[in-house]
Amino acid sequence: MGRCLMLLALLVPVLAQSMPVRIGSKVFTESVILGELAKATAQQAGVDAVHQRELGGTSVLWKALLQGDIDVYSEYTGTITHELLKNVAPDADIPTLRAQLQPLGIGITDSLGFNNTYAVGMLADKAAQLHISRLSDLVAHPELRFGFSNEFIDRADGWPGIRQRYGLPQTQVRGLDHALSYRAVASGAVDAIDLYSTDAEIPYYYLLTLDDDKHYFPRYEAVYLYRLALVQSAPRFVNSLQKLAGRIDENTMRQMNAKVKLKGMKENVVVAAFLGIQPDTSADKGLAARLLQTSIEHIKLVMLSLGLAVLLAIPLGVLAARLKRLGQVVIGLTGILQTVPSLAMFVFMIPVFGIGTWPAIAALFLYSLLPIVRNTHAGLVGIAPELRESAAAMGLPRGVRLRRIELPLATRSILAGIKTAAVINVGTATLAALIGAGGYGQPILTGIRLDNISLILEGAIPAAILALLAQGVFEGIERWLTPRGLRLQARQ
Amino acid sequence: MAIAEARRFGFALERVSKRYGAVAALKHVDIDFAAGSTTALIGSSGSGKSTVLRLLLGLDYPDEGTVRVDGQPFDPSKVLELRRRVGYVIQEGGLFPHLTVSGNLALLPRHLGWSVQKARQRAEELATLTHLPLDVLERYPAELSGGQRQRVALMRALMADPDALLLDEPLGALDPIVRHELQDELKRIFAQLGKTVIIVTHDLAEAAWFAERLVLMRDGTVVQDGALQDLLERPTDPFVTRFVEAQRRLPEVRS
Repeated sequence: MGRCLMLLALLVPVLAQSMPVRIGSKVFTESVILGELAKATAQQAGVDAVHQRELGGTSVLWKALLQGDIDVYSEYTGTITHELLKNVAPDADIPTLRAQLQPLGIGITDSLGFNNTYAVGMLADKAAQLHISRLSDLVAHPELRFGFSNEFIDRADGWPGIRQRYGLPQTQVRGLDHALSYRAVASGAVDAIDLYSTDAEIPYYYLLTLDDDKHYFPRYEAVYLYRLALVQSAPRFVNSLQKLAGRIDENTMRQMNAKVKLKGMKENVVVAAFLGIQPDTSADKGLAARLLQTSIEHIKLVMLSLGLAVLLAIPLGVLAARLKRLGQVVIGLTGILQTVPSLAMFVFMIPVFGIGTWPAIAALFLYSLLPIVRNTHAGLVGIAPELRESAAAMGLPRGVRLRRIELPLATRSILAGIKTAAVINVGTATLAALIGAGGYGQPILTGIRLDNISLILEGAIPAAILALLAQGVFEGIERWLTPRGLRLQARQ
Repeated sequence: MAIAEARRFGFALERVSKRYGAVAALKHVDIDFAAGSTTALIGSSGSGKSTVLRLLLGLDYPDEGTVRVDGQPFDPSKVLELRRRVGYVIQEGGLFPHLTVSGNLALLPRHLGWSVQKARQRAEELATLTHLPLDVLERYPAELSGGQRQRVALMRALMADPDALLLDEPLGALDPIVRHELQDELKRIFAQLGKTVIIVTHDLAEAAWFAERLVLMRDGTVVQDGALQDLLERPTDPFVTRFVEAQRRLPEVRS
């Protein structure tokens, strides 16, 4: 017994060692760069690491970290105080956060050296002309027009807050998409916009970020959050992660963002230049290899979810057709499932299945149920009463009637339901990349993030082709499985 | 022995009532269908004549009264066996469009464990009986004429050699010539088989052609139960006379 325990004690670190550290990132460039940075750091420390990039937003990453689906990701102190922890002062410092996070099994590094907070920016020459350098200088210019992102206009700590704190008199405030607001200010359509202080576009458009002289905006210091278990399993990695603290100032981050977003460089190349090492290009693949991988991932998602849905939905449809009351309940419930926004559905699956392929399959499975259940039900209920009655009057038991007569007569309707589910599935599965399931959504996400049309098309075109293909294949199956007698009948 | 037993298979309704929602389909109906007899149920649509067949097949159960099959009260736990002893033919034939004629015919026999050959042999036997060309066996219902469909429906009802035949407007959807031809054949077949036959029709002439005994129904009750002559000469109700006179005769044509 004792020996067994000893053996186990010896094995645990070995096993833990063999599992690569999993790093996550949110679906915006800075987070992806910091994810690559953590990965390169791990490799420098001799620890295997994988980077699951662009896993959706804060809630996805935080849940995945708490559940142990990922080990590390970069976060901002303001987000931690506002969204992740309760009972914490909005301006809590990092040691306070560390104490609060510890019971959750989560560790936090010191600030990486920059504060990526909300800011208000103007064209530098216009600001100079009007002698504006601080937010309080805006009070003297009520004629200025603002273009703020919708989120900034709505958030209590956004426009309503600074207007009150600084007593700003401006009335011309328009809602804009953040990606477009830079062009709006550059073209003079608006005079000032909200921005994140490390946005790559700030130097590109020669913008001046106005000084928050009354310290209104909360601090959004960049930090890494990591699972404390790493201290045991990968101490050297945690050590080097902590050593990154204070090494990236606002300007450095802004330039790294600019290299990726504006110059089209790869995140790992930018990070390697920052660390002064050779970029690890082993993960880089050609278009064909990338397509093959995303296709396999995507098809796997669709086939597994659809297959499972067929297995459950047809019996449910049969049941619904047989028992009227229950049928209404079943169809109602699957209908409600259909109304859950797709992204929310994927996120709901995380507490149950973690991140990656399985929660995506679960979500797609739930989406596939309705069309199949409804069409199975409709196909069975739509059978002419005299046929149903003839079958019953023959003295065939229910099961035989269902198998030999009713299901064959409903074949068309059922297959049409499966076809609908398949096509919807192919489209919806592109969102699965947001929870780390890969597929055609991955290049689409990256493409949107980097404003790179060819990357978007690398996901969108195959997805469209796959949808058409699914349609074609199911039409073929329909023709093949529909009994000849029914086709003859339909022709009359 | 088997035939003698088959001849004993009769039906009876005793004080049977059946409602569908607010509509009373049958009101305290008594009818006895003796084993081996041929009876025609006549009346307008909605008079309850099809409901009688549905109750005899256990497709519905009465709200009141007793349905007897072969002398015994209808036992719902044996409904499948009872149905197998009865052949049922409906207006449009009720053929399953996804199966060929052979497929339709073999459905019950195959379930009962017959071999393919035995089912085939029986199908050919019945094709001869109903004057159906053998090549029709491989066609789908959509490829058949109306008359052929009704012949196949009759064959299907007869496959497992039932003790009784229930026909609900079997010729109602056919054109006059085919209908006339099939009336002849059905009568011959009924006589040849000697089974208990109940045929539902709203055509008095057709009813009288098939059966000695006519049961005229109206609004869920039996108005008169007797021979054609009784209906013509000794009507129990003015409705009987109206029903009889409602049958159109050919206008007189002077030559």
